[in-house]
Amino acid sequence: MKKTNFLTAGILFLLITPCTVTGQLPEIEDGIWSSGTAFPVQAGRLEFGIFMPAAYGLSESLELTTHLLPNIYMPNAGLKWSHGSVGPYQWATRHSIYYPTPLLNLVAKEGIGGLISPEFTIPDMLAVHNEMMLTRAWDPHLLTTLKLGVTVAFGSGDLDPRSTIDLPLVFPRLSVFYNTYSIRTGLNFQGRIFFRWHYHMATDLFFLPGAEEGFAFEQTAFLLWRKNPRFQSGFGCKLTYAEYPFGTQWHLIPVFDTQWALQIKK
Amino acid sequence: MMVFKNYRFMLLVCMLLCILCMHCEPWVEEFEETEDAVLFTAAQTLAPPSSVNTLTVMDWNIRFGAGRIPWFGDSCGDRVILTEEEVLTNLRLVADKINEIQPDIILLNEVDIESKRSAYIDQMQWLLDNTRLNYGAYASVWQVQFIPSDGLGRMNMGNAILSRWPITEAIRIPLPPRGDQDELTRYFYLRRNILKVKIDLPNVPDFYAVTVHTSAFSRDDTRKKHIDLFKAELDALDEAGAWFVAGGDLNTVPPGAARRYFCIENLCPDEDPDDKEGCDFTKEETWLEGLYEDYQSAVPIDNYLAAEEMYFTNTPDWGGFWQKKLDYLFTNNQWVADSDSTHQEAIECSDHAPVSVRWEVPQ
Repeated sequence: MKKTNFLTAGILFLLITPCTVTGQLPEIEDGIWSSGTAFPVQAGRLEFGIFMPAAYGLSESLELTTHLLPNIYMPNAGLKWSHGSVGPYQWATRHSIYYPTPLLNLVAKEGIGGLISPEFTIPDMLAVHNEMMLTRAWDPHLLTTLKLGVTVAFGSGDLDPRSTIDLPLVFPRLSVFYNTYSIRTGLNFQGRIFFRWHYHMATDLFFLPGAEEGFAFEQTAFLLWRKNPRFQSGFGCKLTYAEYPFGTQWHLIPVFDTQWALQIKK
Repeated sequence: MMVFKNYRFMLLVCMLLCILCMHCEPWVEEFEETEDAVLFTAAQTLAPPSSVNTLTVMDWNIRFGAGRIPWFGDSCGDRVILTEEEVLTNLRLVADKINEIQPDIILLNEVDIESKRSAYIDQMQWLLDNTRLNYGAYASVWQVQFIPSDGLGRMNMGNAILSRWPITEAIRIPLPPRGDQDELTRYFYLRRNILKVKIDLPNVPDFYAVTVHTSAFSRDDTRKKHIDLFKAELDALDEAGAWFVAGGDLNTVPPGAARRYFCIENLCPDEDPDDKEGCDFTKEETWLEGLYEDYQSAVPIDNYLAAEEMYFTNTPDWGGFWQKKLDYLFTNNQWVADSDSTHQEAIECSDHAPVSVRWEVPQ
């Protein structure tokens, strides 16, 4: 399939399918878990998980996010800014920044744990990601979100092209530092299956215009058990396809996560 | 849109993902059973002779196209990931030497086909396309999607046999793993093997070429087991009435070798003096005796013992001369007398020197 077909199909799907529901949704009223949608976390609510980024509702329209654990070696922060609704669509922009140099230098080492050869020095690098999110609620139990974003990388020196980490999930996310900019788009579906069981499906596409290894695709299927608005846990898998320096390869990776939420401020 | 609420939809997705999973490659290829080797063909094949009286057979550990670059794993170097230019330059040296010697069959060790350390160059295909050899068989020794150590990353290194005549059968026979490693290290470590191929040599119906690269750094009896299994494979061919040429980097010195201990000069500055991996052969005096006794060596043992230095094929000493003989060729037929050469002049190409010899085709 041509690379652009995924995106085209997603956009068409979102726009053509008729709207069936308007107004506030049970999915949202339950205490929406903001990840993957244009809805911000409710003001004063803190969500955090093992792998998912922590999110805190600064106001009704602003959400602060960060990946907590990687912060030690990869300082990162993001802001989701809800711009309200346009017709049936809720839309927001997300702006994030991350500094991976300490983490990459940590794994550029001899012996076990050396993901990058110690012969390479990683220069100071910074990436800025800006993304637009458009969410549409189809019925009380289905949210669909279209994402489109651009990442721009800045560096203080040349990064040796042999220093890539040719692993699924990692390679597409770090490729921007070898290419200056990348485009990322995707489509999320999330909703309830029955009772406390929810699903989250996401398609993500990465494009690096001009690069030899310029495309990656990730499909996530996640089954969640939501005990209440303050706790959910789930498992699933991520199917990835990417162009690597050695060629292309598919991977299927099991994923799991547990998330908690606290209402810090009323 | 109801379909997204339906659990059947999720089940279907899960099933599809499971099916795709079955097509996924394992993280580490473990090669527990005997299996077919991977076959290659040159982009343009050259018609081989339809009858021959002698063949030139060559054996070479080409060090994955690293030439004499001080790679961290086998010398006191600090290099890990070579540039494409470095690898191609070294491969050109290797191909030039092969084209100069003009072997009909070549047994190779340490050939990379998809390794990050050697710029992901498919060295099998490259060598076939840049020599007069037409057909190749490849058996991975180290096939890992990602080695999380020293920045090695993806690795696919193996044994290979290249021939001017078609390869009609190619089998990878697994050898036992090192017994002196912990489970985690062993999981990501090399899976040694014997590569046995049947070659469609004119007028010789049962002709085989066999190569092996035995354990280099084991401190237990793993290397002896590899040598014994290699000999057992040759014995089976011999008993079946087949002809063979066989060899490889056996990682031990010949019986009667004057020097069997190299740990002092081979010690790297930051290495533990008690770490005697791959340099102490003092307990291996008899390990190759069976091969020498039962088969013809390209370099007869008397010749070797009379002038050992002339036949040395290996050195990890980048500034010095060849240090010891580790590479061998054997047959159950006859080599043409005095036709052997140990190409010590090829010192820029690898840490091993190639050995070549003429083989008498049974009439």
